[in-house]
Amino acid sequence: MHPGNAGEVRETVRAVLRDVLGLGHRADAFDDATPLFGALPELDSMAVAGLLTELEDRLGILIEDDEVDGEMLESFGSLSRYAIDKSLK
Amino acid sequence: MIDHYTWSGGAEAMLRFGPDQGPVVVAAMPLLEEANRTRAFVVTMLRRLAQLGIACALPDVPGQGESLVPLETLSILQMQEAFAAGVAHVAANRSCYALSVRSGALLDALSPLSGRWHLAPQDGPDLLRELARIKGIKPSNAEPTDLWWFADGTDWTEDADPPVEIAGNLISTDLLTELTARSRLAHAEDSDTPVRVVRLEGDPRPADAHFAGMPLWRCAEPDNDRSLAALLADDIADWIHACEG
Repeated sequence: MHPGNAGEVRETVRAVLRDVLGLGHRADAFDDATPLFGALPELDSMAVAGLLTELEDRLGILIEDDEVDGEMLESFGSLSRYAIDKSLK
Repeated sequence: MIDHYTWSGGAEAMLRFGPDQGPVVVAAMPLLEEANRTRAFVVTMLRRLAQLGIACALPDVPGQGESLVPLETLSILQMQEAFAAGVAHVAANRSCYALSVRSGALLDALSPLSGRWHLAPQDGPDLLRELARIKGIKPSNAEPTDLWWFADGTDWTEDADPPVEIAGNLISTDLLTELTARSRLAHAEDSDTPVRVVRLEGDPRPADAHFAGMPLWRCAEPDNDRSLAALLADDIADWIHACEG
């Protein structure tokens, strides 16, 4: 079953960040303002590729790579909003 | 113990665990970087299976592990042939099962097996899409020619295209071309063979069972998960006992 509401999508994004970047419990404290790209040393270009692919797998979505920019990856809130829009539309 | 098997391209190393009799499990590691991230985890599973009385082997497929064969000279077909040679090396007078992780599920198709157990299997096009992403290519779904981003654009009847460097690995365009079409089981010779697909919780795609755990193949650094390895080994042992009747 794919996540069916905004809260579940948001928790899926958190779980993907935790698993792909090896953040452990650090990810539990993420809120909308938590900065991601440029602030997390674990999030390099290779990790971004794994992050996007894992989000696709778990949310059942297809991410067009021209949608991926600094704004989308700027914060936990922006990434969650993208994932919610994409998977619940 | 460390054993060796031979295939048409030479000799490769193979780890062996467990008894000399009874069914034997042969592990197929994922292609490329994911093999490094999951090797300790797979070895932990194999050791647990050996404790349960089931023999195991982990062949180094050419281009992986200790192999001296340069990856850029290899195709998936050659890796399948080598894996089949590894299976033949251990399978004399005993039933043989594949334990394939991720894109390792592409490698067991040419081997005569009594069963295939696949952990979070990844098909060729999915792996190719990920490689394009790592390479920074932005393939557009609307433009089919973009699917061939790794080709150099010259006539295909002329000399082979040069290998493509992706995240430090030189990969042949033959192998990348094979990924466009390869799916696990697509060329399996014995389509009646039992297949069990296992995925992690959080992966919503169809599976025979889901287990809680982190996708170690995604982690930037190699890691291990001993409790998940034990659960999966127990699942394999139960399944083999059911298959053996």
